[in-house]
Amino acid sequence: MGFLDNSGDIILDAVLTDTGRARLAKGDGTFRIAKFALGDDEIDYALYDNSNPSGSAYFDLQILQTPVLEAFTNNTANLNSKLISIARTNLLYLPTMAVNTLFSDDTKLNESINMFYVTVDNETTTTLNGVQGTINGFDNSGGSYVRVDQGLDTTEVSQKRNLDSDLVETQYIIELDTRLGEITAENTGATATISFIDDDQIASYYLSLGTDTDFVNTIPIPTDVPSPKMIIDGPLGTLLKFKVLASIDLQTSTFLFTELGGTVNLSGTDFYYIDSNIRVTGATTGTRLDIPVRFIKQQ
Amino acid sequence: MATVFKNLLSNDIATTRTLLNEAIPITGTIVSGTYNDENIKNYAHGMFQSVYDYPYLSSSANHIFDITYGYTSNYSASANAQNAKKLNIYNQMAQVLVGYDVTGSIRKFDRDGDFATTGNNAKLENCVFLNYSRLLTKDEIKKGSYRLTVLSGSTEITIGDYGAQNDYRVNSPTGEYGILYTASAATPGTGVGLVYYQAGVAVLTASAGIFDSYESFTGSLTISGTADNVRSKWVDNDFNNTTELNSTVYFCRLNNNEFNYSSNPTYLSGSKIVTKQKSTDPSVSYVTSIGLYSADNELLAVAKLSEPLKKDQNNELTLRVRLDY
Repeated sequence: MGFLDNSGDIILDAVLTDTGRARLAKGDGTFRIAKFALGDDEIDYALYDNSNPSGSAYFDLQILQTPVLEAFTNNTANLNSKLISIARTNLLYLPTMAVNTLFSDDTKLNESINMFYVTVDNETTTTLNGVQGTINGFDNSGGSYVRVDQGLDTTEVSQKRNLDSDLVETQYIIELDTRLGEITAENTGATATISFIDDDQIASYYLSLGTDTDFVNTIPIPTDVPSPKMIIDGPLGTLLKFKVLASIDLQTSTFLFTELGGTVNLSGTDFYYIDSNIRVTGATTGTRLDIPVRFIKQQ
Repeated sequence: MATVFKNLLSNDIATTRTLLNEAIPITGTIVSGTYNDENIKNYAHGMFQSVYDYPYLSSSANHIFDITYGYTSNYSASANAQNAKKLNIYNQMAQVLVGYDVTGSIRKFDRDGDFATTGNNAKLENCVFLNYSRLLTKDEIKKGSYRLTVLSGSTEITIGDYGAQNDYRVNSPTGEYGILYTASAATPGTGVGLVYYQAGVAVLTASAGIFDSYESFTGSLTISGTADNVRSKWVDNDFNNTTELNSTVYFCRLNNNEFNYSSNPTYLSGSKIVTKQKSTDPSVSYVTSIGLYSADNELLAVAKLSEPLKKDQNNELTLRVRLDY
């Protein structure tokens, strides 16, 4: 008589993150675990060899041998890629997100640095006026903006098709360092509402379809497909568009530039800069996109 | 509807209490010898002596216990070294460990813990106190595990709380305590000291049969000198500590149709799932970590697996995530 397989129940010891410890120390009842998610940050799915001649048992042999790192206590450093629950098991494509650099000249990245510039004061905005991929972070008038499109990025499914409703991203989370700036609407310049700021001073903005219409909209099916203005080749879901307004500290001081950044010379003019990322995460699908930005200030 | 979170229901959360024990050996070579007393710290006030597990000027040294000595007014004499301090030490230890009687007077350490005024009413009037560090005792000393071997004259005697796991006292203001005997068959009325389990303090009578230099403890020796003498007689000391571990276990249940897809950037080529060649192939993902979140999606705790765990539509898993407090 063989033994029963007992591999289905696994005990793991958890460690508190810095946010968990902070909330526990507060003692105000905010430390309450309500849900869980699973992550696979270390996995490189490119190692999945589904044509291995030795058979299906060898498809994921390399993946299963992946060494796993110990947990980080920084809450932002864990579970960067999460597992997704979708009831259907017959999906061959999943939606992705991309910065739409094709929609107009105002949505293009700066080609030389492959990121967006964010000017932080009037003088810098004037100097860099007309430079591709420059967001006016001084007063948000004119200039570039960020547009993120979501959908199935494949030519194997027509762009004319609607994206299945359970794959449409309906809520986006934008994370930005509050020391550097804040998120504003592309059209009205209205400031987005911060949901919370964590212990690392990273602000999270939750922007939803139907509620935050200045930021999140459904992408209409183009009349001519494949549309040259779409970065996503297949069925389209929703879009997120926003600008960045530089913080008061960046507008009026060089302290953070000297502490977090460096200096660069552009066409004979010296600038301070800070490189950062704006992280966009689909709250529904867990898809994540880091958008590189360079906050820049003329010396 | 795609989702990355799963809510924990009330039956997914359980609380447990576990008692962990560690064996703590304090050998005579550490207490007196190995480090030429560089691990012994005396203070200008002379009220007690500290013992470290390494020369105390080193940053890697840990404080392990203190030794001090005191007596009641019955032994008080102005000619005694540090007479007032010895009285103060006894009273301080007694008021914390023994408490007060109905008149508000500090009670004396009682040999058998019953504070009877008739029969076996002997008190411990002059005592050596061993105050163990919280580092060693943790939440408490395990009852019945305390053993101290000292050299009395040329004879080794072992003092222990024999049988204390089933026979201890609860009439101390600082928790439970046991009676120390010199023989493994504990005989009522023959106790030579007390061990306070939660306080982490051993109280030993300074008398013949235990410390052969006991008379000089009272008179000519200072408290530090007494501590030096006690250490010189130290052969071995062992006990088990106890840590009370309160845990919450979160049962993270992964049903067959959950968590079979990934948002890992390498999971897709374009938008095509790289682990599938056709739509009917099983959806496969690999778990390496579990995050516990608040209702507002803040990551509060993380657990990692030792190796990737395969999840597909053909299996269900329950991952028990334990958070200790």
